[in-house]
This record gives sequence, structure tokens and C-alpha cells, in this order.
Amino acid sequence: MASISVPIGSVPGQSAPRPRLRVSDYLRWSVDHKIIGVQYMVTAAFFFIVGGTLAMLIRLELLTPNLDVVQTGSQYNTLFSVHGLVMIFLWIIPMMAGFGNYLVPLMLGAKDMAFPWLNAFAFWLIPPAGILMVGSMLVGAPEAGWTQYPPLSTLFSGDGQTLAALSVHLLGISSILGAINFLVTVKNMRPPGMSYWQMPLFVWAIVATSIIVVMATPFLAGALTLLILDRVGGTTFFDATKGGDVLLWQNVFWFYSHPAVYIMVLPGMGILSDVLSVHSRKPIFGYKMIALSSMAIGIVGFTVWAHHMFTSLQPELRIPFMITSMIIAVPTGIKIFSWLGTLWRGKIRFTSAMLFSLGFLSMFVIGGITGVMLAMIPFNLHVHDTYFVVAHLHFVLFGGSVFAIYSGVYHWFPKITGRMLDERLGRLHFALTYIGFFFTFFPMHFAGMLGMPRRVAVYMPEYQGLNATASFGSFLLGISTFLLLYNVIASLRSGRLAGANPWRALTLEWATTSPPPATNFVGDPVLFEDPYGYGTEGASDYLDAIERRFGAPSQPVVVDKPASPAAQGASGD
Amino acid sequence: MNSSNVSSRTVITLIVVGVLLIAGGFIISQATPLIFPVEASAESTQIDQLFRVALLIGGAIFLLVQGVLIYSVWRFRARPGDTTDGPPIHGSTTLEIVWTAIPAVIVMVLTILSYQVWSSIQSVKEDEQLVQVTGARFNWAFTYSTPDPRDAAAELTFKSTELHIYLGRPVLLKMQTQDVIHSFWVPALRMKQDLLPGRTTEYRFTPVAVEGETYPARYPVKCAELCGAAHGEMIAWVVVHETEADYAAWFDQEVDKVLNPPADPVLRGESILASQVYPCHTCHVLSTDTLQWDGKVGPALNGVADRAATSRANATGLAAADYLYQSIHEPGAYLVPGYSNLMPQLGIPECEAWSIVAYLCTLSDSGAPTCTVELPAQCQAAGAPPVEATAEATEAPAEAAAEATPASS
Repeated sequence: MASISVPIGSVPGQSAPRPRLRVSDYLRWSVDHKIIGVQYMVTAAFFFIVGGTLAMLIRLELLTPNLDVVQTGSQYNTLFSVHGLVMIFLWIIPMMAGFGNYLVPLMLGAKDMAFPWLNAFAFWLIPPAGILMVGSMLVGAPEAGWTQYPPLSTLFSGDGQTLAALSVHLLGISSILGAINFLVTVKNMRPPGMSYWQMPLFVWAIVATSIIVVMATPFLAGALTLLILDRVGGTTFFDATKGGDVLLWQNVFWFYSHPAVYIMVLPGMGILSDVLSVHSRKPIFGYKMIALSSMAIGIVGFTVWAHHMFTSLQPELRIPFMITSMIIAVPTGIKIFSWLGTLWRGKIRFTSAMLFSLGFLSMFVIGGITGVMLAMIPFNLHVHDTYFVVAHLHFVLFGGSVFAIYSGVYHWFPKITGRMLDERLGRLHFALTYIGFFFTFFPMHFAGMLGMPRRVAVYMPEYQGLNATASFGSFLLGISTFLLLYNVIASLRSGRLAGANPWRALTLEWATTSPPPATNFVGDPVLFEDPYGYGTEGASDYLDAIERRFGAPSQPVVVDKPASPAAQGASGD
Repeated sequence: MNSSNVSSRTVITLIVVGVLLIAGGFIISQATPLIFPVEASAESTQIDQLFRVALLIGGAIFLLVQGVLIYSVWRFRARPGDTTDGPPIHGSTTLEIVWTAIPAVIVMVLTILSYQVWSSIQSVKEDEQLVQVTGARFNWAFTYSTPDPRDAAAELTFKSTELHIYLGRPVLLKMQTQDVIHSFWVPALRMKQDLLPGRTTEYRFTPVAVEGETYPARYPVKCAELCGAAHGEMIAWVVVHETEADYAAWFDQEVDKVLNPPADPVLRGESILASQVYPCHTCHVLSTDTLQWDGKVGPALNGVADRAATSRANATGLAAADYLYQSIHEPGAYLVPGYSNLMPQLGIPECEAWSIVAYLCTLSDSGAPTCTVELPAQCQAAGAPPVEATAEATEAPAEAAAEATPASS
């Protein structure tokens, strides 16, 4: 229980030599969770660019009301179907798994995940799944949207639909294996002195997420199996003319896919809880409520699925799902207010990581409000399957998850690579992303309410103004991505050295060198009793001790000097 | 003393902020006419009213969160050179209860209001006008039925590509799809309902007058559920007549077309295709003086009469007319090389199908028919207008006409 809070400074002070990161280590099978974490992240980032390119083509097509960029409606349908599938299953979910893989063992002071081999196996399912997904576009239009509703997906869509379904199947397996690993790791590998209530909130979020993955993803696997059988096995599970039922798919698919929204957003909320506390130099406000609200969202999230079916479900079944969908707004609200409480009276540092977390807060709240509106059945009947929903889901998944991912990248890049990202470029990246995001997605609310359905390549000319605004916003968003990419590549070569703990954060991943040695910690990690205990003398002493023990970041003056190899030698203390 | 001063100031601040937030939310909620189409149904008025309440509350919450956020980052920004931490505050039970309870109450209120509106808009209305809706990739068809003036026991049905209704009369749509899921959405009515294979779904509304509208008013019907390549083009129109008499005039005209079709099957077939009540034009290419189809999925129909009489007849062993009839009723029985089995069963009645075949027989390169069709006897009967049928038609062409008498002035 009582963990040592001060005396690490007395540990004789030579840090372990900074391990060199070699590209070749990341291209082969490895059971080191840090390498696997980076493999996840880099793979996901690659597919983010693939999905982003598809998004750019979609917005280019929608610049005008007519079909002009692509030749046929089916091609357009393929663009947004694969865009959705890639962004969800090959970008956000694996990216969050990447953060989880890299950070959870470090935050728990462990040497690795509970099942290192399984961890590697889960990752290596992703590249073949990615190839299948990209290949699906080439062999025949998978044009049924990411939701793959039959009978469009079973009786009409091209052969690509089968490949896409197989790809998602593989990704589901990967996701389940990863989640089991997280749960066992958190259960068994916490250090002595760390109770569940002393875990960083990111770890709590990963626990909640993993429970959802383990319970929900098998349903997706079941639904996909039926879909693939209908396509290639001659079965008729979803063919109403032969005794099947199209609503079967919708029920089972959403039983997974609504919880999947929380699979994508809860880890982001975990990132936010850590980043907001560290960069406003103040304990997280209402730790237990944040942790418990993650669990509440995870549980209630299983009871709301049919709010995606308010226009297809039997009318008398719609009311209970409205009630549960309304209830889930409460724990989400608790989180937002707790984060605001964290900022209040803090000492806010406008680092890039912090800016993206603040951006998350201000954009996600819009997604939350429109979410409550969508739960209201009468209003839902109007905006269901329109651009209003497209706006809502991007405010949650881009304004939420992707902003959180960006925030996490700026926050933990120094730990992963040992070098800082360029903060000035980071701020520019934030400004472009924030403005581009807002102008891309905010006008979509109006397009939807005024009468533009989603998933259309041609639309009535009266919506062109709104669509052109959205398209120009998205081009800005596209450009902003390259700023981050450039920043990452440039900083890897010549970024300022980070030291062990550039943000003076109290969680355990910072109590070792950057990047950490193969075994993560040299000797036993020394835990501070409260992961968010900022503002106390004890915390200050602990952080000073970490700095003496593992080395301080090089000073900002050095940043612009190209002579970083020289500076490299100056690490340590 | 001092503490009571502070708390009274806090209370005043909270009241002022609260009033400002609600006022802000109210202003935002008044923007709805800009972001909605016209309110063309009784239901749309109720739904918009509900949305304005949600927008007021949502607007106030939006201003609260953004306000606190902006105030915090400005007021609590770290000053240059300040490396100290903020105060070690870990939470406040009171605050946490407050911000759990208030949202809980808000969503409860919204749930109750939504429930009330929902029960009202889907309740069964008196004297509903029933129209059957059929969705097929990628068009809509509306089927009206009325007692047959020639035979009181029989139903006379006709199809329209537009949904004709009139102000004040509640409408009940019974909807079916012939292929994939479609969703019937009229933005001006604020509602949508999916058409599900294997089921019949319902949609109720009551058209109401829109200020400044010229009648008959036309509102687009859009498909809101992804249904394939031309999903975005699956649009039809609701035509709202101002009075029952206007509606009856349209209705009588349509009934008359059924009772008195052209006697020549070729002309009948052409007029059926031109009316687009069957979605042939969405997939096939056909270029004639009157028809300009540019579908991209099925075989082109120009010259189909020649092919039916030669290569297709050889391949199937059927006479040209029989082959064409089979292609309509059992599209999968013989597939033209290079095309897959995508054409749905359209359920075209026999008389109409034979008329269409008669017309297709004339689509040869030379222009001379390669086959001819004798319409079966029962089709001929309808084609040759008996004198007494016409008389009945003017007398009771539709229930609507009969009801028009007491209602109109």
C-alpha cells in the first residue's frame, strides 16, 4: 500500500544506456510490447492515410451535385464503404490498441504484457486483413456501406463484399485476443502498492474497452459468418423471400457496433484524462466518477443498440431503446464536467498534446448534444440516415477519438522515441485540424436537416453551398495530416531530447528512460502513491528525483540547432 | 459574515450565468426555420416544436461547456516562468452529484416529451386515405385502389409515380419493397420509415397548409437507406392538392386511363413504359422518339425485337413474343450473355406485360414488328370501353368523388 514517494534520488545515479531504435526491429516478429505497440500505431497510421485518401475522393465528388469524379454510383458507394471500414477497423481500433500495448505494461510497472506471444499474433493478423480490405476495392464493388445491410450486401454487392467481411472477421479476432491480454495483464501484473483505484485512468479506460471487446466482438463474428455464408455458401439467413430476415443482421450487427463506438472513444477519454491532468498541473477531478463512468458506459452501451434502427424496428420496441440511449448521456456528461473541473484553477500549459485534448472537449460536446437529439425518436425519424448523422458520428469519432489520438501522439511520442515533437509545428497542426474539422463537419448538420440523405453521390443543387464548404474544410484537414507526418519524421531524426519525463508526469511510464529499456525498468519501478497527485510537495520531490535518476530533457534552446547528435551525448544528468 | 457575503455573490453569479445560458439557448432554438424545410404536415409541426426544446437545452449546455472551457484556458493559463502546480483538489461530492442529477433530469424530460410526440404522430387517425407504396431499385410507385365501376365486387387499381393527396385528409401508406431495403423519407413531413423485404410497414401523416405555398404543392420523396448505385437518384414527388375536388379531378383522370386504355396493345405497352410505373428505365437503355432511358445495368432494348426473333429464339427455343414475356416474368430463366441475374420480379399484371411485349416487338432496326401480340380476352374487354362502364365511371369513378359532394361547398 504505502509506496515510497521520495527516496529514489538516492539510488546511485547512472541510467541504463538509451536503447537504439532500429527500423528493422519493427519489421519482424517481436514479442516486446513496445515494439508491437509501435507496429500497431504505424500500421494504423498507414491505413489512416488510405482511409483519408478515400475521404478526399468522396469530398471531391461532392463538390458538385453531379457525378463527375467517379464514373458510376457503385464506385462512389465503394469509396465511402471502404472509407468507413478502414477508419473504424484499421485505424481507430488498432491505433488505440497500439497505445494500450505500449502504455499499459509501462503504466503498471510490468516488464511486458501477460501473453507476449499472443500479443504479437494479434498484431500480425492486421496486415493480411488490411490487404484483404484494400483488395476488396479491386475485385468488385463492396457497396453496402460499412454497415453492410443485407440484402444489398448479400444479393447485390460485388465480390469485394466477401473480402471486406473476411477482413473484418480477422480484425475482430485480433481485437478479441488483444482485449483478453489487456484484462489479464491489468488483473495480474499491477505492481505491489497499486490498487485498482490507483491505476491511471487510461488503464481504466482500456479495462472498460476490453470488457466491451470481449463481450461484443463475438457477435460481430457471428453476424459476419452468416453474411459470408449467404454470399458464398448458398444459405438464406437474410433473404426474406426464402424465409430469412433482414432485421436479424441489423440487430446482431448493432449489438456489436454500438458498443464499438465506445471501443473507439473510451480509450480516447482515457488519454484525455491523463493529458488534461498532467498539462494543467492539477489532480484529475473526480477520479472515481471518471473510472466508474467508463464502466457504466460500457455496460449501458450494451442496451442501446436498436436506436440505430428507429426507422426499421417494430414501433412498439423503439421506446425502451430511447430510454437507455438517453441514460447513457449521463455518464458521458459526468466525464465532460469532471474534465472541466480538472482545468478549473489549474496551471494550464498550451502544449500540442493539451491543445488537442481541449479541442476534443469542445468538439466532443457537440457530438454528445446531437447524440441526445438523435435518441429522441420523433426527431430521429427526420434525420436518421441523413448528413446530420454523418456530422454526429464524425464529431464523436474524429472530434473525439482522432483528436485524442493526436493528443496522445504529442504526449507519448517523447517516451516512445526519446525525442520531442516540434511544438510550433504541433500548434500549427492543431489550428489547421481544428478549423478544418469544424468546417468539414459542422455544415453537414444543416445539410441533413434540410433534406440531404447520406451515402449519395448526386444531390439536389440547393445543398451545394454546404457541401462545398465541407469539401474545402476537408482539404484543409487532409493537408494538416501531413504536418504531423512531417513532424514525426523530422523529430525522429533531430528532435530535442526528451529525457525521462519531459511533462513531469506522475504515472509510471515516465519513471524510466525514454525510450524504455527492453525490460522497461532497471530494477523495481518506484511508484508514486497517487497517479494524479499534482500540487503536493511529495509529488514535486518525486518528480525531481525521477529527473536526477533518469535525466532531464535538453533545454528548448537546443531545439533549432541541427547538432543534435552532439546533444545526444549530453543526455543523462 | 464574510462567508455569507461570498456565497450570496456566488448565488447571484450563478443566477446571472443561468439566465444568460437559457437566453442564449433560446436564441439558438429560434434558428429552426433556417435549418428545416417547410412544415407540410401536422406531425412536422409537433416534431419541430420538440426539436426547438432540445435545441434550447442543447444550446444552453453548449454555451456552458464552451464558456467554462474558454474562461478556464484564459483565466488559468500558466504565466511565463511559472513552473508550479495547481492546487491539489481531487473533487467535490456536491458538484459531482449536481452534474449527475441535472443531466439525468434533462434527459428524463426530453424522453417524456419525445414519448408524447411519438404516441401522437403514430396514432391511428380517422378516415385515413390508404395508398400502397412500392420501392424498387431505383424508383417509387404508388398504388391507388377504388371499387371497380364495372363490377362493384372488384377492385380497380392503378399506379402512379407521384403520391397525390389533399390538405387535411390523413394518409396511411402501406409500404413494400421488391428488392433491398429502402427508406421512405419526405423531409417536408419530417418522417421516414424503412421498407423491409418480407414485411409491410406503415407511415402515417396528415398534410396541412403551408403559408404562402401555391397548390398543388410538390415535395420530394427521397430514399434514405443505401440501396445501390443510383440510391441518390431514387426520388419521387408528393403532390398535395389544395381541395378534395382538385384531388378528385386527378383521380378521375387516372381511373379513366385504366377504364379506357388504347385498344392497340403496342400503344398501350408504350404508354405503360412511358408512365415509368415500372422501374425498367432505371436499368435499361432505350432511345426512341418518346423514350430516353439511360440505365447502365441491363441489356439495351433498341433492336431487342430482332434479337428476340433470331439469336434468343434459337437459344431458348421460344417464339419471340413468348421469349420477351418470359424475360419480364422470369428474368432469371435465360440470361443474356454478359449480364447477371439482377432484375427483380416486378409483378407486372398479365395484360400489361403482354402490352409491353407487343411494344417491344416493334423495337427492330427496320421498325417493322418481328412479332405480334393478341391480347387475351379479358384484357380486350377492358380495352373496348362498353357504354355502360363509361356511364358508371362518371357516376362513381372513385370513393373520393363520391365523398366530395358533401364536403365541398
